[in-house]
Amino acid sequence: MVDDRITTADNRIDGDAPLVVDGLTKEFGSIVANDDVSFAVQEGEIFGFLGPNGAGKSTTIRLLLGLLRPTAGTARVLGADVRDEDALTAAKSRIGYLPSTLRFGEEVTGEAVLNYHGAIKGEARRAELLELFTPPIERPVREYSTGNERMLGLVQAFMHDPDLVIMDEPTSGLDPLKQERFNAFVRRERDRGTTIFFSSHVLSEVRRVCDRVGILRSGSLVELENVDTLLHRGGKHVRVHADDAALTGLTALDGIVDPERFAEGIQFVYVGDTNDLLRKLAAYDVRDVEIGEPAIEDVFAHYYGRNPELDDAHGEGGGETGAGPGSPSQDSDGGPGGV
Amino acid sequence: MFETARYEARRKIRGTLILTAGVGAYAGFIVWYFTVLEGVDYEDVFADLPPAMLEAFGIENLSTIEGFLGAQLFSFVWLLGLGLYFAYVAGGTVAGDIETGRIDLLVSLPVARSRLLVEKFAALFVPMLAVNVLGGPIIYVFVVAIGESIPASHLALTHLLSIPFFLVCGGIGLVFSVAANRATVAERGAVATVFVLYLVESVVGGADEYDWIQYLSPTQYYDPTPTLIDGSFDPIDSAILLVAFAGLILLSVAAFERRDL
Repeated sequence: MVDDRITTADNRIDGDAPLVVDGLTKEFGSIVANDDVSFAVQEGEIFGFLGPNGAGKSTTIRLLLGLLRPTAGTARVLGADVRDEDALTAAKSRIGYLPSTLRFGEEVTGEAVLNYHGAIKGEARRAELLELFTPPIERPVREYSTGNERMLGLVQAFMHDPDLVIMDEPTSGLDPLKQERFNAFVRRERDRGTTIFFSSHVLSEVRRVCDRVGILRSGSLVELENVDTLLHRGGKHVRVHADDAALTGLTALDGIVDPERFAEGIQFVYVGDTNDLLRKLAAYDVRDVEIGEPAIEDVFAHYYGRNPELDDAHGEGGGETGAGPGSPSQDSDGGPGGV
Repeated sequence: MFETARYEARRKIRGTLILTAGVGAYAGFIVWYFTVLEGVDYEDVFADLPPAMLEAFGIENLSTIEGFLGAQLFSFVWLLGLGLYFAYVAGGTVAGDIETGRIDLLVSLPVARSRLLVEKFAALFVPMLAVNVLGGPIIYVFVVAIGESIPASHLALTHLLSIPFFLVCGGIGLVFSVAANRATVAERGAVATVFVLYLVESVVGGADEYDWIQYLSPTQYYDPTPTLIDGSFDPIDSAILLVAFAGLILLSVAAFERRDL
């Protein structure tokens, strides 16, 4: 656990960081969606805001944009206190935002949306971005696929060349190729000095692009660590189809957590050395094997222990759907931890 | 400046053209129907109606084109139909955006909430003005086409005086819009409120003891038929409507600035 006092002290030192969250708390009736969340994002870094569905990530982001009012604590975005509407409104011309649910107004064309946003906040980089992301801007938004909507959202988020970009689940709905293009783009933006803060419930995504990661669980920030540490802790999700002898032998291997048998195989989280696992597998008659990254819920379960009460999803609507435990396919396509 | 109002106004152009065409077609029908009814003894036709209903629909002088339009077109379409329409449309102003999540992008723009709300409401001037500015000449041309005449100044005044009334109906819709989380709730609430106020005003008009209740209804302050007939109107009525409208806007802005989105 991160020591709150240390975090707070760090925030004081980094008082002029683009994003400073200080004791941010948001309650909806009896539900605590954000509980005393504190962290800071430094200029020119990519900060991943990781957490399972329903952990309260969207609530934090919507507090930062002034859509919600904090119950207690506050945050400063480019120096503007989120409780001060005038200051925050002024700062917004230097902020890009990509919400998790993108709605533009169904009957308008993408071009009309960009014209409107551009007229208010500027559009210096619009043409350049439309070459990279290619939503069909001449068509009405209602005809857009999810991926096209995301791309239009990305163009509007970056087109006024903001200093800070806040994105809520930016890659959901993008195909793997577009995701890779997005990752490369975000790194380039960081190198130009833009500060980037985005949320995700997909571990592999933040592993690939983020400089630092904060993990939100049940409304509280439980970890603030660098990607290497997270990478080390993540483990791998392994699914093996093999005969009974092999399955029994595998269960005995060191570094296996939570083995679970199914009809013709076994799945588990493996936290040991990958080469050991491969050597062991080679000794058996294996029909099929998948090695991928674990769902973030599993990472929590293994490193912080399951707490049924805390695991209850709250704070966010049911809008997010993601890879649950046992469906690592989304994460198994060539991430650094993959085989 | 006014990017939001311009953008939202453009989105209303299509609906406005349909609305104006519909109202124009109905006006044509009413004017034609006046020629059909020529020679009918109106006092006999409406003698059995209760006084409250005669008053509610502004039925007077039906044998003149001014009185006929006042009762059949303005009392139904302008006072009731369009009043409800603007309450309904204003009900969807931000409640729809809050429901769909579009409000996230709107609020991320460097525009204060109050300004966003006022500019979105201002887009309602497109249908409000179009239905009068286009509707008036359409009605005038129809009237002339059947060989009747109507003082253009009375007709123009009747249209002009409808604007403060529409603004109050829209203001009622806006209050619902900032209070609700779903468009349908705000729209229905606004329509129901304006309709109930209209009914109450019509009913209590006859009872002295409770006649103060009628002053709560915006329909009390817009009476198109006398204006059409002889150009008479009470400036205080329009003043009351404009003050009420300002109050509704201030209330909506205050509520919208404070709420979670």
